[in-house]
Amino acid sequence: MRRTYLFFLLSYPRNHRALFGAEMLRVHQESAAEHRSQGRIAYAAFVVRELAGLLTGAAGAWFGRQPPLPAAQGGVPTNIAEAQRCIDASIAGMVQAIAHHQFEKARFYSLAERKARENLRRLKEIYGISD
Amino acid sequence: MSLAEQPRHGYALLKDIETLSQGRTRLSTGTLYGALRRLLEDDWIERFEQEDTSRDKQAYRLTAAGRKQLELELERMKQLTRAGMARLRASEA
Repeated sequence: MRRTYLFFLLSYPRNHRALFGAEMLRVHQESAAEHRSQGRIAYAAFVVRELAGLLTGAAGAWFGRQPPLPAAQGGVPTNIAEAQRCIDASIAGMVQAIAHHQFEKARFYSLAERKARENLRRLKEIYGISD
Repeated sequence: MSLAEQPRHGYALLKDIETLSQGRTRLSTGTLYGALRRLLEDDWIERFEQEDTSRDKQAYRLTAAGRKQLELELERMKQLTRAGMARLRASEA
């Protein structure tokens, strides 16, 4: 079962596997040991549930929001890049607004920039990325 | 909701969700980690290394934002239940 589980785990995006792969396998093995002791039917139901869960989970991981790659693995987390883009766009909007004396608009971009910076700081904290 | 009481690691979460739902919900690891990933991305939970175990188990706990969100969600469910009960009573009267 371990080998089958690992095979199905390969259907997940790389960054999901890097973040959760080992942990998922460990939890699966603990759960498998428990169900094995409950008899064949319970174990068979568990196997079907696990494999179906992996397939739907993989589909969700591919087509849902993508988890960022851990910084330790040298990847550029996608949501950090997105937060940085938000900051850049807000600054560009603010500069443009000031240049056209649209101060209300500039305030809006200033607020958006502050929020984006806070978001970036929080994401960097989560993924252990220093400035 | 499972994390409201205390931090838990993956297997403990599976067991607790089963207990909370009185055996009606048995999550697979794929479903559990999909949900954990989304909650992490929303900053409603955080992941940390549990110290009191010999195995390197990652555990999860609610963040302040997650706790607030849970309170809001429970309040919403309470209101929904109240509204449902009121309609039921009205139809019986």
